[in-house]
Amino acid sequence: MKINRDNKISDEIPASSMADIAFLLIIYFMVTTTFTATRGLDFGLPKEDDNPPEIEKEDSVHIQVQPGGNIVVDSKPMPLDNLLTHLEGILKDNPTKPVIIQTDPQASYVHMVTVLDELRQSEDKIGMEVKNISIPTRREIESFWY
Amino acid sequence: MKLQKSQQFTPMIPTASMADIAFLLIIFFMVTITFEVDKTQVLLPKTVIRLEVPKKAAYVSVTEQGLIKVSDGEELSNQVNGVEDVLSFASTVVASNPSKPFVLKADSNVAYDHIDKVLDALKQAKVEVIYLLSEQQTVPVDG
Repeated sequence: MKINRDNKISDEIPASSMADIAFLLIIYFMVTTTFTATRGLDFGLPKEDDNPPEIEKEDSVHIQVQPGGNIVVDSKPMPLDNLLTHLEGILKDNPTKPVIIQTDPQASYVHMVTVLDELRQSEDKIGMEVKNISIPTRREIESFWY
Repeated sequence: MKLQKSQQFTPMIPTASMADIAFLLIIFFMVTITFEVDKTQVLLPKTVIRLEVPKKAAYVSVTEQGLIKVSDGEELSNQVNGVEDVLSFASTVVASNPSKPFVLKADSNVAYDHIDKVLDALKQAKVEVIYLLSEQQTVPVDG
């Protein structure tokens, strides 16, 4: 009897479908990936202090953000572009002077963020960091000052 | 004279490295993918200063209508009924990790009144640092 010797088992790993599998995985990751904003303005809150320093309105720079986004600095209306140059003169004598942002409840959130962003750019724009920025809430303002 | 027969080339695109390229792309996507814990659609404010938000930070998102969602950074965000719930949520998170950073993801056009109440709740819960999530503001180049 003649033995058929043609049945040779291939010693190769079949890799022809590897690219197909890989591309399917790529499509899955491409569809599920969402490029999200993972950056923002940081804002440190004061730590709990049993004896917090009493700050009078007069001892600080008081920025009021109005509903339309206009700002009033120490009772004087001012364009946002002039804010840092105005602060430069004040903070030259007292660099740790608190700068308080008080936003009208009817103003948009973006208006407060714009003012905070402007203050945080002080290092680049006027070469002087506004060190002490405070954003008191309405409850804090009412309980401390009124 | 014996003429040499022209050599025949079989047309073939080399695909041997296709899988390698594909796997490199997969590795790129696997490394860069971040699973969002908060999928709330909001129009973020634009700022020039933007710092990287720490991973696993807790999220508080506020929509234009004032709806609030919270997430501890591990699980998907849930809608809460009001700022009282934000205070209890933040207090729980801070109790387990006092230095846990919080991210405020709020819509640009939401009335500041809502933000004021959320900030007040976070302050009362003794949160140490808050990141106000924003998009990049492009600065016009002079000249």
